[in-house]
Amino acid sequence: MSGSPVREARPSWLSTALKWGVPDAPPLVYAALDLRDRPDHPDHRFDLTVEAGTAVVAIGDEDSGVGDLGSYALGLRRPISGRVEVFGAPVGALPYYDLLLFRRRIGYHPVGDGLLQNLTLRDNVALPLRFASDHRLAVVDDRVAALVEDFRLRAAAALRPAAANEEDRRRAAIARALALDPDLVVLEAPFDGLTGRAAQDLLDKVRRRDDGSQRAVFVTAQDLVPSVRRMMDRVIKVVDGAAVEEKP
Amino acid sequence: MTAVVAAIGHSGARRLSVLGGLARFALGTFRASSRLTRAGRWVTLRVLISQVRFTALQAIGLVTFLAAILSFLVISQAIRTLGSYGATNYIGTVVVVAIVRELGPLLTALIVVSRSGTAIAAEMATNRVMGEVTALEAMGIDPYIYLVLPRMLGAIISVAALMILFDGVALTSGFLAASLNGMHFSRYRDIVLATLSAKDIWLTLGKGLVFGSAVALFPSYHGLAVKAGPTEIPQAVTRGVVATIVAVFVSSAIFVVVASG
Repeated sequence: MSGSPVREARPSWLSTALKWGVPDAPPLVYAALDLRDRPDHPDHRFDLTVEAGTAVVAIGDEDSGVGDLGSYALGLRRPISGRVEVFGAPVGALPYYDLLLFRRRIGYHPVGDGLLQNLTLRDNVALPLRFASDHRLAVVDDRVAALVEDFRLRAAAALRPAAANEEDRRRAAIARALALDPDLVVLEAPFDGLTGRAAQDLLDKVRRRDDGSQRAVFVTAQDLVPSVRRMMDRVIKVVDGAAVEEKP
Repeated sequence: MTAVVAAIGHSGARRLSVLGGLARFALGTFRASSRLTRAGRWVTLRVLISQVRFTALQAIGLVTFLAAILSFLVISQAIRTLGSYGATNYIGTVVVVAIVRELGPLLTALIVVSRSGTAIAAEMATNRVMGEVTALEAMGIDPYIYLVLPRMLGAIISVAALMILFDGVALTSGFLAASLNGMHFSRYRDIVLATLSAKDIWLTLGKGLVFGSAVALFPSYHGLAVKAGPTEIPQAVTRGVVATIVAVFVSSAIFVVVASG
């Protein structure tokens, strides 16, 4: 009896988009960035490579330019000079809709959490799964329930951000960043105002991928508590626009 | 003289630029519908239902009241005036042309603009100022899909439904006015039905589509164009509402030209 020929599943537009970039390229590369808008200081350029599976933090003062690194990685802003590559793709050069699709490989926590105020914490967590994945609704609901449980948000899940406390908001924002199990997570000032224990707990969840492997994590902050700092593979201090390696 | 020409040119170029931006915005919204994900379709449907509840269901009382009053006044005056010339046969023309074709759609659109257009513009501007639009883009979510598309579909359905309601109430109230002024129901019915045609149904649906799109697109466009901060929100609401009203009147005039052609 001859079986029917096996037809290969047609890749969805999302799976096609996720293949963009260069295979085996580092998750995040900053090359010769001018963080201080000083063309007369060509030696003070910011270079940094975040390797796969590593956690790197860039620390710097408010005016050091460290706060721009996250938005450069997402292609939300373009650096004055230098280049930014995510998985080998020059994010700043991608057309708008290609960039929207490409960003689904990156989890992002902006400064101040970026939660949508008219949605509950649960709906905020569900947002990328509903509108940036091609999962069925039942799969989305299961995944959201698991994230709410994992991030200990059950009690606050039905609250809107304005009614929730800072730690729950932060947990929801980070859970949302991890909703699509991205290869790279970029976190801007994610632990400000949290206790060391809460920050450690969150960083531990951020580092772990669904399959148990380690995820590439890039954190920007003005400062980091020692216990969290020790969990980082690399600590970079931005001094006068350049990256200076420090001990974790 | 050169300065005057330059000022006129600058103003014209600015308006053309806004029109171009609006056209791109409308196209982006239509294109967004093809990029909806499976789960997104269900969520959009839920937002759409909530939008229809706010835009149409909560406006039923106001639309019914205004339609009844307007029709009662117009038909009462028309019967008295036309009756003195022995021309009550033209009452159907007054009802259909003045109320069903023109005033009904216009007033319905204005009611929806004043209730929902302002809300849409303010909501979009607030989303922009709070950084929520950037947050959506950072997640890889098209703001057209999440913010604009459900509101536009909701506005189209709501405006079309409210127009049909307006026409129905106006015709019923017209009968009441006619009977109070001595006209029998069967005569009123025959006159109105003789004037109504299939074209009126298509015109109502066409206006529902165009006015509904305008009610959502213009406030969304001006709301999302806010850049400076919270102080710009009231200005964006004003710009959005004024632009919608102008668009509704202009497109109404275009409908007259097209329908009579």
